[in-house]
Amino acid sequence: MGALFRSEEIGLAQLFLHSAAAYSCVSELGERGLLEFRDLNPKVSAFQRRFVGEVRRCEEMEKTFTFLQQELRGAGRVLGPCPESPRAPLAREALRVQEQSEQLAQELREVSHNRASLRGRLRELRQYLHVLREGQRFTSLPAPLGSPPRPRALSEHEPILDPSLHQHLDRKINFVAGVIHPWRVSAFERLLWRACRGYLVASFVEMPEPMEDPATGESITWVIFLISYWGEQIGQKIRKISDCFHCHVYPYPESEASRADTMSGLHSQIQDLSVVLEETEQYLAQVLDKVVLALPTWRVQIQKMKAIYLILNQCSFDVTEKCLIAEVWCPVRDLTQVQDALRQGSYKSGSSVECFVQRIPTSESPPTLIRTNKFTAGFQSIVDAYGVASYQEVNPAPYAIITFPFIFAIMFGDVGHGLLMFLFALWMVLYENSPSLQQASNEVRGTWCGARLGGVGPGLEVWDMAGGMGWAWWRGMGLVVWDGDSMGQGWWCGRGSVWGRGGGVGRGSHVCPHQIWLTFFEGRYLILLMGAFSIYTGFIYNECFSKATVIFPSAWSVATMANHSSWRWDSQPPCDPPRSLPALTPPRSAHSSDYLATHPSLTLDPNVTGVFQGPYPFGIDPIWSLATNHLNFLNSFKMKMSVVLGIVHMGFGVLLGVFNHVHFQQRHRLVLELLPEMVFLLALFGYLVFLIFYKWVKFSAADSLVAPSILIHFIDMFLFTSNAGNLPLYRGQVPVQTVLVALALASVPVLLLGTPLYLCCRRRASRTSRPAPVAAAEQEPLLEGQEAGNSVNATKEDVESGGPSPDAEHSDFAEIFMHQAIHTIEYCLGCVSNTASYLRLWALSLAHAQLSEVLWTMVMRNGFVRLSYAGGVVLVPVFAAFAVLTVAILLVMEGLSAFLHALRLHWVEFQNKFYVGAGYKLCPFAFAPDAWE
Amino acid sequence: MPGYSEFYFNVDHGYLEGLVRGFKAGILTSADYINLAQCETLEDLKLHLQTTDYGNFLANETGPLTISTIDDKLKAKLLTEFHYFRNHAFEPLATFLNFITYSYMIDNVILLITGTLHQRPIAELVPKCHPLGSFEQMEAVSIASNPTELFNAILVDTPLAAFFQDCLSENDLDEMNIEIMRNKLYKASSCNITIILGVFQSVSEKESYLEAFYKFCEKQGGTTAEIMRPILEFEADRRAFIITINSFGTELSKDDREKLYPTCGKLHPEGLHLLANADDYEQVKCVADYYAEYKAVFEGVGSGTGEKTLEDAFFEHEVKLNVLAFNNQFHFGVFYAYVKLKEQECRNIVWIAECISQRHRTKINNYIPIF
Repeated sequence: MGALFRSEEIGLAQLFLHSAAAYSCVSELGERGLLEFRDLNPKVSAFQRRFVGEVRRCEEMEKTFTFLQQELRGAGRVLGPCPESPRAPLAREALRVQEQSEQLAQELREVSHNRASLRGRLRELRQYLHVLREGQRFTSLPAPLGSPPRPRALSEHEPILDPSLHQHLDRKINFVAGVIHPWRVSAFERLLWRACRGYLVASFVEMPEPMEDPATGESITWVIFLISYWGEQIGQKIRKISDCFHCHVYPYPESEASRADTMSGLHSQIQDLSVVLEETEQYLAQVLDKVVLALPTWRVQIQKMKAIYLILNQCSFDVTEKCLIAEVWCPVRDLTQVQDALRQGSYKSGSSVECFVQRIPTSESPPTLIRTNKFTAGFQSIVDAYGVASYQEVNPAPYAIITFPFIFAIMFGDVGHGLLMFLFALWMVLYENSPSLQQASNEVRGTWCGARLGGVGPGLEVWDMAGGMGWAWWRGMGLVVWDGDSMGQGWWCGRGSVWGRGGGVGRGSHVCPHQIWLTFFEGRYLILLMGAFSIYTGFIYNECFSKATVIFPSAWSVATMANHSSWRWDSQPPCDPPRSLPALTPPRSAHSSDYLATHPSLTLDPNVTGVFQGPYPFGIDPIWSLATNHLNFLNSFKMKMSVVLGIVHMGFGVLLGVFNHVHFQQRHRLVLELLPEMVFLLALFGYLVFLIFYKWVKFSAADSLVAPSILIHFIDMFLFTSNAGNLPLYRGQVPVQTVLVALALASVPVLLLGTPLYLCCRRRASRTSRPAPVAAAEQEPLLEGQEAGNSVNATKEDVESGGPSPDAEHSDFAEIFMHQAIHTIEYCLGCVSNTASYLRLWALSLAHAQLSEVLWTMVMRNGFVRLSYAGGVVLVPVFAAFAVLTVAILLVMEGLSAFLHALRLHWVEFQNKFYVGAGYKLCPFAFAPDAWE
Repeated sequence: MPGYSEFYFNVDHGYLEGLVRGFKAGILTSADYINLAQCETLEDLKLHLQTTDYGNFLANETGPLTISTIDDKLKAKLLTEFHYFRNHAFEPLATFLNFITYSYMIDNVILLITGTLHQRPIAELVPKCHPLGSFEQMEAVSIASNPTELFNAILVDTPLAAFFQDCLSENDLDEMNIEIMRNKLYKASSCNITIILGVFQSVSEKESYLEAFYKFCEKQGGTTAEIMRPILEFEADRRAFIITINSFGTELSKDDREKLYPTCGKLHPEGLHLLANADDYEQVKCVADYYAEYKAVFEGVGSGTGEKTLEDAFFEHEVKLNVLAFNNQFHFGVFYAYVKLKEQECRNIVWIAECISQRHRTKINNYIPIF
């Protein structure tokens, strides 16, 4: 838990890598994933960097791998995941991989080329066979080559043409036969008719068996055509047209006999070819087997190698060109481990010169690293979704572990619903290591990774066509504003980063079932706690599926009251019951039916001895669920509870600021900021909490009719008046209140002017004492900064004094003042509005209770109409409806809404009291296993 | 409800507009071009393109990289995007997108006809066609031996029929021109004349195409018309200038020339009349001087080797107009502008690639930056 309190100490360090050992050192570091490398040549474009040749070689290999994989997919083989994580290959090994993969690819290319040509040949032969067979039907008519166009053509041309010529023509009927893609048939037919003006007869028929399309690889039903025509001119034209439409034209023998000959020849050719093809296929399968065996390991290896070279591209060379210098952000705790990795790296590469790491001072703010485990990760990501903590700032996540589920549970208080949620989360937690769950989440994580790699920075709107691009663009136009009060949108937008960890914001809006599942799975511990806390608050509210449970006997005695007030025969004037007394609808008992028939509502008076026997041991007394003024009672209770919890929560937030001020050596802020803030909050709202408790303790049921109203008192406090109709709570109330308001008002100018004036004075003092600021060393390029050693202190001082220069001082002061003014206004107004904002606890818990009650009375009660077997049959569908609605509306919808509001209360109301969240995460260079999918 | 199209625009076209704007963000910036221009080899170029939105569109190319593969891949990418737009478009955006393809179709038809007259095999010509303008019957263009057959047999089934019909039936003179040219061609087979033939034909077809497109955009009204008007007017005027300049030294009479001018531009009618009477380049320039924007274009043209040609100046102006289209919302102009800008980007990349592969560094900066 200590690691969660604030982010770890991170230092800037330089790695001195001997050029021979650099590769293996970076490989070692990548396996351990400790450091974040900084780009030392940001101005050098990608293709001018040092190791661009090696990167290109890796890409060449990847190209080969892609080819191999395509072939595998074409053959219907599935590539398994890489069994173990192989280390990045050494140069010689990489060369071997390259050689072998290229050789395999070459082999595969040849074989599949052979196979493709064999298949093509076979297909052509088959097509030819079909053409001949189908053509038979048109041409082997009993009439001597009597083709259909003849009669018509003859009748048109007979008067003009010479009969001898006609004879000649008749013999010269020719055929063009072939196959065509079915989509092109109509256009082809039309064009033929138009271009040749109908001097031909074309017949089309579908081929009986589907065949492969060489262009797309799909299986389609080709169409055979047979065109009969006269004359060479038209013949040429037809051939040209069929060329244009990518038809396969086959020679069509004129005579029946030669056709039969050709067909038998084709048959034997097809048989021969099939045998050859089969052998080729077998050989191909052997080659593919080899590929399946080797490819996964190769891919991981080469990807690692490429990653290493990309990192090495970010390093710079020293003057002697013998040593690579890398700059890294490194957790101070891990420095020894880094040194260890470097030692191993240089040992493995056989280099005689040791590589080493050295810390250097920096004025830059280091990245934030907060180590989490599977339990805390969910809570940390809630905080990170708001903003990554500034370096070494107090982290709200450890407190959120309890407050978040608790605040959620206040709005979701129901034993039954809480139990369902708890069990669901428990199932996920217990089976989190089971392969099916893991696989599902890994799958999704893979796609997240892809998304992360695909969309970089402002290119958010680009690429992935299916993603919510229209939306992303709208956001770019500023139409969707991230605002605390439009959380409904905001949350869905940010959802990817809330749970998906690393999903781009733009992608969050594209929700697929897998991603929703991942959202729940990643937050399983959070849901577990939310469920458990809901059970607790459910007991407090005494609600289980909106029904009260009687665990302890009720503290109210109806019998005593009945005896006392003689409800049976005496008639009391019915009075309006005060709010804090249960008013019951009369129980149905026989002997008092006359009285009860005239009195719809009866009051239990706690002032009567024996009716109220002291408070209920735990939570709300179940008798309230029968009372007609149940809601009035709960509203008052929940409203006060919300205000009390809210003010405590906010006060805690302000107090957390202490750790920040102490840690950053800004003790003046303790006095000048934290103190006035605390005074302001406590004097106004702390006093309100005091009033609530005071009244609760001081006034009992006996004097409830004269109890003063806190609300009126609180308003009077600000107006400096007193109200005669409202009794004072205690003596001397008015002066106390006046002092408190005066204190609160006095703390505002302190808050507003304190820090700016203090900084101003201090700066003036420091300028007179030491004219030259000592931050000069940090301004130099980082590579020369070798005089390190005591850098930690230097950086801290540097952060604090901010490297002042005399010119910037004036505008600096204005900036500080503006900043403080904004902070003051925000804080003072925020105290009012945030307190009001906590009332959402009341509103949501009320909504939840009412909704579940409505569901019970409107749905489930219908199942109890008859207490017979028939009633039991009715109960089944009714219960089904009840169960579905409970899960869909109360658990999922209401749960999401309560989650949303809890999130908002944490982000806006709690965290703005102390949390800056302007940091950036440390993303170490690591060969993460899921990045290889 | 013309004029209120903003209200319901997003219902039908909002998604595609968002998409096209997203794609627009991926158009290379001048910083990208500066980097590209520093490349030493085509492999460098590829490596740099990988860092842009093109991603690894060249990653699966086996064998040495050639300019034609780059060009093909660039076009293929544009084609994929355009087809995605077209397949998801509702009317009237669908018609608008069709209009964009028509100009490419016309170019392809002309290319094929000219190529066939030169006795080039069709297989050699087809890859040269722009993929945006390919259509089913395209390859059959080569079988036509005269314009009537071309129209009646092949083009009648295509959307281009309307434009060709105009130029074949209404403008008798044009048809006569074509016949004259064709006859000459068959006898003398002078390649110069072929090109002129191509130009005339393309011009006369483009003219009616441009006018139809212009009318269509005006009919849409609203922002679409507002945005497309200057773009199409400029397109028309550019054609008028180019026809005039190309016709110097040929036997095209001035009357005929005037008939070829598209009439939907800013030059219509006075400017076109003046252009029709121009005899040399200087006179054309004088005509341009009457119009502020064209004056600027002509003034930017230099005669030296390193300076801009008139074509480039026109392209530059076109880019400027197209970029403006993105400043407004709820209109179709962005689609047109995107396609044109992307085409210009292809030209730029190919130009840079040519310069790199031919080691012709001095001219490498003659590309036209877009953003």
